[in-house]
Amino acid sequence: MQVQVKLFAFFREGRFIKEDRELPEGTSAGKVVDDLGIDREEIGVLMINSRHCQFDTTLQEGDIYAIFPVIGGG
Amino acid sequence: MAEINRSTILQTIQQYARESILPLTDAVKIAAKHNCSLRDIETIALEHCITPSRFQRNSLSCPEQLRLFRSRVAIIGCGGLGGRTAELLARIGVGHLLLTDPDIFSESNLNRQIFCNTKSLGYNKVDIVSQELLTINPALTSTPQVRHFNSSSINTADIVVDALDSTEARIELSKLCREQNIPMIHGAVKEWYGQAGIDQASSPLIQTLYTQQKGPAATPKVLPMTVSLIASIQATETCKYLLGHDSPLTGNWLQTDLRQCQFDTIPISYDI
Repeated sequence: MQVQVKLFAFFREGRFIKEDRELPEGTSAGKVVDDLGIDREEIGVLMINSRHCQFDTTLQEGDIYAIFPVIGGG
Repeated sequence: MAEINRSTILQTIQQYARESILPLTDAVKIAAKHNCSLRDIETIALEHCITPSRFQRNSLSCPEQLRLFRSRVAIIGCGGLGGRTAELLARIGVGHLLLTDPDIFSESNLNRQIFCNTKSLGYNKVDIVSQELLTINPALTSTPQVRHFNSSSINTADIVVDALDSTEARIELSKLCREQNIPMIHGAVKEWYGQAGIDQASSPLIQTLYTQQKGPAATPKVLPMTVSLIASIQATETCKYLLGHDSPLTGNWLQTDLRQCQFDTIPISYDI
């Protein structure tokens, strides 16, 4: 299935801003994070089609999946 | 102030004002002559469409300027984001700032914290910021608290600015603000990247952005340009709220990337 993955902030460095990815059916949001080499502890927000999701949420064909890191400095 | 006194003061103000602008030195003289505060004089001036000279370049009407003059903003954290937001709000003419921060200025603050310089190292941030802001806006009332925040840091404020640097502290502040039904303008920065938005009961921004209750352990790197950008957004949103303007950040937050020069407005999800 095809899913568009959008990365934000420093997750973009050495990766991409947005990319269409071919993924096996039933791939979870968390699996994509892991495959991108992103530490789950750095995750701030995960959204599928602008709705908040969890690591174990299953992605569907045509989803737009956005991954935001924690930004915490002041 | 008695009504007779007010009308006498107004006459004096009108004598000194030129094209509806009142210079600071004249306002100070009038205050001394009538034995009242600079704040009292400038309030009367604004009530009668005379603008204190230092605000003449603001694109605000007298009623708008007066509204800011009477507003109370609590700034929680007086480092990078907090110091710069406080400076901008003092310059535009917000009348009362409640500044809370337990820290002193140290060398690593020099890259990004306004009023941190080699002379202010070792001094309480809120004390230095308060004193510097008074040289920018002498009618400002600035209440410094050298401590971690609690409900007294916010409960007399119209709005709160989140200028903290810890996930746990932000979650706690968000909860305090919601208990008191005070909106909170969130801001956070790391390296070239930042975010800002409005946290309130109707749109739980902090709950959305910080799904893990604890932040990463490492102290983040922060660039001064990112601090200036996000503090500017925070000051802008604060003023828009105080002036009763709509904001596209109601129900959304702003994500900024200075490397790519991209600014995204993302809807806050309610499905939590």
